[in-house]
Amino acid sequence: MKPISLLLLLLAAGAVLAPAADFTIPIEKFKLPNGMRVILSRDNAVPVVTVYVIYGVGARSEEKGRTGFAHLFEHMMFEGSANAPKGMHDKMIESNGGVLNGSTHPDFTDYYETLPSNKLATALWLESDRMRSLAITDENLKNQKEAVKQERRLTFDNRPYNTAIVDRWPQLSFRNWQNYHSLIGSFEDLNAASVADVAKFFKTYYAPNNAVLVIVGDIQNGAAKKLVETYFADIPAQPQPQHPDLSEPGKPQPKQEVYRDPLARVPGVVIGYPGPARRSPDYYALNMVDALLTGGESSRFQLDLVKGKESVIQYEANLGWPFAGPSDYKAPGDYGIFLLYKPNFAAQQIVDQVQEEIARVQKEGVEQKELDRVRTFLRLSRISQMQGSLSRAQLLGQYELFDGNPELVNTEIGDFLAVTPAQMQAAARKYLTPERRTVLEIAPAPRKRPAGAQKEAQ
Amino acid sequence: MERMLMTFLVLGSMGLMAQVIDRTKPPATPPIPAYKLPPVYETRLGNRLAVVMVEDARFPLVTVRLGFLAGNKFDPPDLPGLSEAVAALLTQGTQSRTSRQIAEELAAIGGALNGASGPDAITVSGSVLSENTPKLLELLADVARHASFPEKEVELRKQNRAQELEAQRSEPSFLADEKFAEVVFGSHPYSRIAPTPQSIARIDRKALASFAQTYLVPNNATLILLGRLPARAEALKLVEEYLGSWQQKALPAPPKPDFPETRHAVYLVDRPGSVQADIHVGGLAVTRADPDFFPLSVGSVVLGGGGSSRMFLNIREKKGYAYDAHAILQPKRDAGDLAAVTQVRNEVIEPAMQAVLDELKGMVSDPPSKDELDRTQNFMSGLFVLRLETQNGLATQLITAKLMGLPNSYLERYVESVRAVTPAQIQQVAKKYMAPEKAAIVVVGDASKISKPLEKFGTLTVSKAN
Repeated sequence: MKPISLLLLLLAAGAVLAPAADFTIPIEKFKLPNGMRVILSRDNAVPVVTVYVIYGVGARSEEKGRTGFAHLFEHMMFEGSANAPKGMHDKMIESNGGVLNGSTHPDFTDYYETLPSNKLATALWLESDRMRSLAITDENLKNQKEAVKQERRLTFDNRPYNTAIVDRWPQLSFRNWQNYHSLIGSFEDLNAASVADVAKFFKTYYAPNNAVLVIVGDIQNGAAKKLVETYFADIPAQPQPQHPDLSEPGKPQPKQEVYRDPLARVPGVVIGYPGPARRSPDYYALNMVDALLTGGESSRFQLDLVKGKESVIQYEANLGWPFAGPSDYKAPGDYGIFLLYKPNFAAQQIVDQVQEEIARVQKEGVEQKELDRVRTFLRLSRISQMQGSLSRAQLLGQYELFDGNPELVNTEIGDFLAVTPAQMQAAARKYLTPERRTVLEIAPAPRKRPAGAQKEAQ
Repeated sequence: MERMLMTFLVLGSMGLMAQVIDRTKPPATPPIPAYKLPPVYETRLGNRLAVVMVEDARFPLVTVRLGFLAGNKFDPPDLPGLSEAVAALLTQGTQSRTSRQIAEELAAIGGALNGASGPDAITVSGSVLSENTPKLLELLADVARHASFPEKEVELRKQNRAQELEAQRSEPSFLADEKFAEVVFGSHPYSRIAPTPQSIARIDRKALASFAQTYLVPNNATLILLGRLPARAEALKLVEEYLGSWQQKALPAPPKPDFPETRHAVYLVDRPGSVQADIHVGGLAVTRADPDFFPLSVGSVVLGGGGSSRMFLNIREKKGYAYDAHAILQPKRDAGDLAAVTQVRNEVIEPAMQAVLDELKGMVSDPPSKDELDRTQNFMSGLFVLRLETQNGLATQLITAKLMGLPNSYLERYVESVRAVTPAQIQQVAKKYMAPEKAAIVVVGDASKISKPLEKFGTLTVSKAN
């Protein structure tokens, strides 16, 4: 079979592109008979390859009484499979000079191996073995429940801000349980999870037809394709899983609450506004507003609040905050802003200062010079993001899973750059109003012990 | 209309036959591909500025580094944190630009510049859309040569740094690093890892400017330019235009590299209320230029690098004392330090400490097997190549090698050097740098809970976390 000639393979090692072209990521996409979608993107410059598998299931698919289950399940994926017993996955990848991990998100769960390119088959063997024959045992489950609890203690319960953000913030900003329940889960629900739950979840969601496999890096497409078919083609398809109803009832209401955090030493505040549909014109416009307000050293927050008013110490913000970024944002979700500020200011002052910055966009719009800056910022972020094989694979996988169109990796920048000042102004007026705003103040609670209050840590 | 660049194709219909494979075994794979670093061009300007250029045309980006031997070790004894403050404030105002102008001019070209300071060096790191490389060089030259440390910016940075320091001091790991550096490096400035509230308060424009005028000079600097660069002659012309007239200056002598021999004792930093104990065990080690470096580097990964290391498998997986158990070798320009690190709950401090000491002893008594060594060498070789995927990755490797005074062969032969290490060499360096009876033991935790069990491990000194 001849290689498919539709591909743009401009990026042979070190080839110099015409200066006018920013870059073009080559993409070959196909589907196995069992429904698994596959994306290959060749780049032979460095002998490294990333194998990335993304499944269409995340924490928002969880059922009541099973909070934290998607994440618990992600842990189970590292507990061994029929031919790769417990411990082998890590050992095979690391002993070949690679890195690996998995992560759970609201709308997807993903796994990757980045390793020297001669070991592509090894990564495919491991990924296919666990997709085909995960070892679901009582012992592994017990073990991983403890590991997840330990992770919760270390990452959330014993650190400032995180518990407020993971547990309280979603409850305040959403009204649909599917969206607001704890993604890390309660100890009670984690304890209740059974081997039968794990087996059912595996069968329902970890099927090839609910997955996208992305391979980026030093490959030859023909050989890679053959390996993919060898390892994955005979994994049986399952009925397409149903997705839960995520819609938020009613209209957004203003909400405000104070969370007292015994671990925080510096006050913080979270401000959120429900955002538009993914990839809608408003989505692009609001992303541009975000870049104007918070992108880079010359953003308005940096120049006016960190400098200027000298009230804010640090901030982060994006559509999808805190659990998603713009590339995996899916409504319903917030445009969320998290700020740490100096103790000589009150939370309300910070909220007002942020709203004033937004009001300036709503009233005065955006000048050409600032628009140019924002466009350049977005172009730069996009190009920088393309450099590593892992981040390229993540984008390709997310575009395929969410939009069925990995080519967006090359074209979507055009949608951002086409946004007009009038569209930015209109989006700010429509979405970023006090009437739709949720505020969670995270106030340092008085400390009982001199070295910082701590909960049971193990 | 968008071009159709792809189609769904069902493989089965393409006649590609799946190979028959034995799924029960890991697949046979080809050998690791040879990889050579891209060609590195080097020159020096008349003012002794070292210039390094590497062409990487894959993306329309250029990455720069400008490194100076002007790190924390050059801080005056009463002003720890001065070098760090200089680095942070370089981009916050020059004789002809305010911080706002710098930020806006950078934003307009899709550029970034940030200064940071480490034990040995200040590095200004930057990147830019490749078509704007000349403008980035102009701004880089301005901040490096003409930083003015405006009063208002200095004040703001001092306030924010004081807040950050407060947050850092609430972390037990910071307190452990601080005490460990103090114990290992004695009176050498490597022993200070952060400013103090008093030194932050004392730092002023005069001290900042004087430090910058002394150390930020071309004969003390290396410039790395990497990415989709202009043609060589043009790139050199640009560098000459912005940095050629920079005057060289005689440099003061660096601090003497005198380090105490590590003393075997237990240093407990009391952190009342702590339910965990942070453990660092180790001592003085080597620089990257030392013949012992590669054996010790591989040995430290066998001991505690990654999920297949001895410490991870024993202390975390088998004994379940801790979530994290690792070893870290930190080579600086004049010396290095090696530590076995873990955090354990108070109740298991005694067996956990014993386990750490046993692992160190094991490096002396049981050198790695062939298989253990192979895996470790593969791990390190692979990670080395993985880090070269991005412009940032390669630029970081290059500037580090230059600032540490290493020959080019260090990077070119890194993989080879790792693979050449033998079990006997590891055992030999383990005797020198990992022997538990010579190691310093630093613990951060609640003294009322853990000082008793710690007394068994050596003479105990308790200090307060301040």
